Amino acid sequence: MTNNKFKTRLEIAKKRISKRATKSNDNKSSLLGVAFKISTELVAAVLVGTIIGFIFDNWFGTKPWLILTFFFVGVIAGVLNVIKSAKNMQN
Amino acid sequence: MATNPMHQFNVYRIGPQIKIDQIDISFTNASLFMIISCISILLIFNLGSSKRNIIPNKVQLLTELSYTFISKMISDTAGSKGKPYFGFVFSLFMFVLFCNMLGMLPYAFTVTSHIIVTFVLAAFIFIGVTVIGFTKHGFGYLKLFIPSGVPIVLLPLIVVIEIISYLSRPISLSVRLFANMMAGHTMMKVFGGFVISLGIVGGWLPLSFSVALTGLEILVAFLQAYVFAILTCIYLNDALNLHH
Repeated sequence: MTNNKFKTRLEIAKKRISKRATKSNDNKSSLLGVAFKISTELVAAVLVGTIIGFIFDNWFGTKPWLILTFFFVGVIAGVLNVIKSAKNMQN
Repeated sequence: MATNPMHQFNVYRIGPQIKIDQIDISFTNASLFMIISCISILLIFNLGSSKRNIIPNKVQLLTELSYTFISKMISDTAGSKGKPYFGFVFSLFMFVLFCNMLGMLPYAFTVTSHIIVTFVLAAFIFIGVTVIGFTKHGFGYLKLFIPSGVPIVLLPLIVVIEIISYLSRPISLSVRLFANMMAGHTMMKVFGGFVISLGIVGGWLPLSFSVALTGLEILVAFLQAYVFAILTCIYLNDALNLHH
């Protein structure tokens, strides 16, 4: 009897703790971290796209074209990255 | 000589030159500060975990706080599957944090203000996460590049974009840490130079700026280590729990 009572109390306490843990998730330092993350993510994707375009241009000998297309693909990838992390922030 | 704001980033040799087959592996000031940070981490954490008092002293409190901080970070981002990688994330966070913080001391060298250091760390994480992803999911890991609900016509373009954004991870990870550390330290040096050149009359304004910047830099030093660790957790989460 008392054992059962204790078990239910334990369950309630555990639930409370897990609730508190999810609530304290959105502290300020992690938000600042996300802000740092977003700013470089845009730049890095453009950089990687351009580097890939440059390498492919040297391989196939199509000097300006692949670097141009991959630059824009990199821009798209960067913007998508930012949108993705912004969506993660909202959840 | 020391008025040049970039002078603080010079890497110079300490002791004799050691060469193995054209590769220079001499002991430099960068390696010295890496060793200093490793030794201080080992000292603090051995001191903190040796006693195990019920009422902790300050060092024990510090070690226990940092333990719960990282373990909570991993369970929040990567879930229970991320637990085995605690050791790696913890040592990574501590190494970056101590390198950043030791760089804040006067006359110290900031190891993380060199892109090759941060890039090696980031490349190691990138390769490790990719290997973990392929061992856990096999070729199913490639599903990461194919988001659900995309029309067939757009698929080639989307896959290229996803691959580029996957490859951009180590770049953004390393550039973020390196750029923040280098920019901050250069700025502090520039303002310090203003104090000297304006003298006792006009030097007070840049001096107060310098004090404020020091506080900001300590915040950035901690925050960049935190971001580095939490992004490692996020990438681990992508590799462990595929959900696309």
